[in-house]
Amino acid sequence: MKKTMQTTLAALMIVLVGASGYSFCGFYVAKADASLFNNKSEVIMVRDGKRNVITMSSDFKGDMRDFAMVVPVPVVLAEKDIRVVNRNVFQKLNDYSAPRLVEYHDYNPCQQMMAEVCCSGATMKSLAFFDNISSVNEKDEDKYQVVIEAKYQIGEYDILILSAKESGGLKMWLTDNGYKIPGKAEEVLEPYVKSNMKFFVVKVNLEKMAKDADYLSPIQIEFEHEKFMLPLRLGMANSQGSQDMIVYGFSRTGRIECTNYRTVKMPTDRNIPLFVQPEFGSFYKSLFEKQYVNEGRNAVFLEYAWNVSPYSPMPHCDPCVGPPPVQQEFVDAGIWWLNEPNGQQGIFFTRLHVRYTRDKFPADLQFQATPNSEHFQCRYVLTHPAPGDLSCDEGQTYLTTLYERRKREIDEMYSLASWNWEKRSETYLNEYVGQMKEKPEVEDKKGELFPAMLGKDAPKSPAPLPIVFSLLAAMLGLLFAHKWLGRVARA
Amino acid sequence: MAALAIIHQQTARFISWFRSDGRHFQIVSQVVFLCYGILALGWNAEYMKYLAAFGGCVAAQLLAIRYADFPSHSIKSALITALGLSLLLKTNSPWLFLIAAAFAIGQKFLIKINGKHLWNPANFGIVLVIVLSGDAWISPGQWGSAALLVFIIGTAGLAVLSNIKRLDTGIIFIMTLAALEYGRVVLFLGWGHDVWLHKLCNGSLWLFAFFMITDPMTTPAARPMRIVFAMAVATVAFYLANFKFVNAAPFWVLFFATPLTPVLDYWMKAKPFGWIKQRYDTTQEIRSAS
Repeated sequence: MKKTMQTTLAALMIVLVGASGYSFCGFYVAKADASLFNNKSEVIMVRDGKRNVITMSSDFKGDMRDFAMVVPVPVVLAEKDIRVVNRNVFQKLNDYSAPRLVEYHDYNPCQQMMAEVCCSGATMKSLAFFDNISSVNEKDEDKYQVVIEAKYQIGEYDILILSAKESGGLKMWLTDNGYKIPGKAEEVLEPYVKSNMKFFVVKVNLEKMAKDADYLSPIQIEFEHEKFMLPLRLGMANSQGSQDMIVYGFSRTGRIECTNYRTVKMPTDRNIPLFVQPEFGSFYKSLFEKQYVNEGRNAVFLEYAWNVSPYSPMPHCDPCVGPPPVQQEFVDAGIWWLNEPNGQQGIFFTRLHVRYTRDKFPADLQFQATPNSEHFQCRYVLTHPAPGDLSCDEGQTYLTTLYERRKREIDEMYSLASWNWEKRSETYLNEYVGQMKEKPEVEDKKGELFPAMLGKDAPKSPAPLPIVFSLLAAMLGLLFAHKWLGRVARA
Repeated sequence: MAALAIIHQQTARFISWFRSDGRHFQIVSQVVFLCYGILALGWNAEYMKYLAAFGGCVAAQLLAIRYADFPSHSIKSALITALGLSLLLKTNSPWLFLIAAAFAIGQKFLIKINGKHLWNPANFGIVLVIVLSGDAWISPGQWGSAALLVFIIGTAGLAVLSNIKRLDTGIIFIMTLAALEYGRVVLFLGWGHDVWLHKLCNGSLWLFAFFMITDPMTTPAARPMRIVFAMAVATVAFYLANFKFVNAAPFWVLFFATPLTPVLDYWMKAKPFGWIKQRYDTTQEIRSAS
């Protein structure tokens, strides 16, 4: 039966996930609406030995009839290897591992109050996600050299697993079934077809969907394969700019790191001004943007790494943003070994954040699970000043240090995120000056205190590349210097 | 003029000393890479681990000098091994660096064939610690893929090798690997050239090519055999990386290929290598040394 789909698809995006050299990658077929240009996807990867469990979240907000997704997979997945999971898992993992703010309160040296510590979590606001469309009309035609390997109905999805002999046939099949594929997609489909990949095609079955559901459940797939990777290339087929992806990685023993791009830690444990608190989400966004640029736009960023095993004696965070995920949530995330009777129960949680573009990320992301058990969290510190009367001598000393600290906090805010809030910074800095018997010397503000606000360049981190070059040049220079000197000496 | 002449004389003396031993350049360039990693790439500067690597290597080498009659200049080889470990090996504990150092230097005087030690010390230490402890790893991604870095490593590597006449091994290795990857990635799979370049722009790969497989003490002495050796290592590493998905494949391949060196040396004899030119009797050097 041939049914022409009405859906017009303007764009092809990807996201996701894969595994294999055979790699494995997915793409969403989407309308070209504004949300395309501000993308974030989330993936959970669980890896132990050769076994992979990958969960892809879809934040699709449009008409469910328009949704379709294609994910290349290394093997034909059995029905039991595909399931839908509770979407709260993503929210839970995100909340738990997100960059966080911590607050401390100074005690009043004139009152000898006890220090009090409390903490508050801050979660980045989700960037608008990608959306997708289309439905699939299954059929099996020799002319496409596309074989339908399997057909399942799982959760609210109809799933097909296709294999193709060549990318042209696959593209034709997709086009004839209502997908509009951008030209650039074919060149990236080819390597996957040649690697003998299967294609996992998903569309929504409206009848199976709850009447009032306005979201799609994450899809989880499970397979055994040596290779541990996430394909990015298909998602770039028609992307106009950068896309963000958050990877929640789980292994038994240690951090997951990227093997073909640098994995870089985000700056952490920095003191920032109190007034950043209500804007922490956008502060972190600016901070990320700045790091991304500083690291050459081709690094993968580490935001969280912790042994979250329920049996670990260590606390799971400091401060904790909320209660840790419970066992069932880990199981939902795909950590199968929690259900094993005598298995080791270790769970190491790594959160990676990658912003990728076509020119800086030519190859798919590859990973390894290392034994690296060093903990890491992305943490920013607010310190509330001491309350009460500070007129005693100790109080005055404290006010001086407070003034100095706030200066540093303002500098830090600028160097981390290039934030440039002159008025607020000035008020903040001078908030306690009125209580000081000895006013601080007002330094030449130009360029010193608020370099950013005066349009000066930010304090830059030392640029070591020129140093390395000079060293090499010096070594080479040395080797040739004697010849020249010899000539001069003889002249 | 007289002052210039003196400066010239002194510089010339320094340079000829510097060039008399390929290891000097090797030490300087590896120090540069380590500084680059810590300063520019933001590695964790794990000084305890570096200290363990240096302490372990130097102590073991001193023992060898004292009791196994190694020449005193062989301490330079220990420094190179320590730098190699610091650049490549990752562990959770500094103790493993100490153990890696002990393995690396220890095998030089415990495992000898025809008076020549078998494995590249850093390679031996790294592989053994990873296999035996399960708590160590290599991070091939730590260098990123900046083409600039390849240039830096390449240049410095070339400088090292041009002094010690083992340029061929590294170049043949890289060329074989590049050709095989080109065939698979570009010609067969149909990826663009940037994917191929990205695969080759890997700092660990270039360090391996210019500082490990080129180790003159542990590669075949005769040039044709070295070429065969380098091509074989590249081919097997290519196979393992692309079809068996092994990370850091060249390091593993070199480890298992090294025992072939004496066989290749037996098939084709050549003058053995000595680090220091015209100072020691070369054969003597080889029999006793580093």
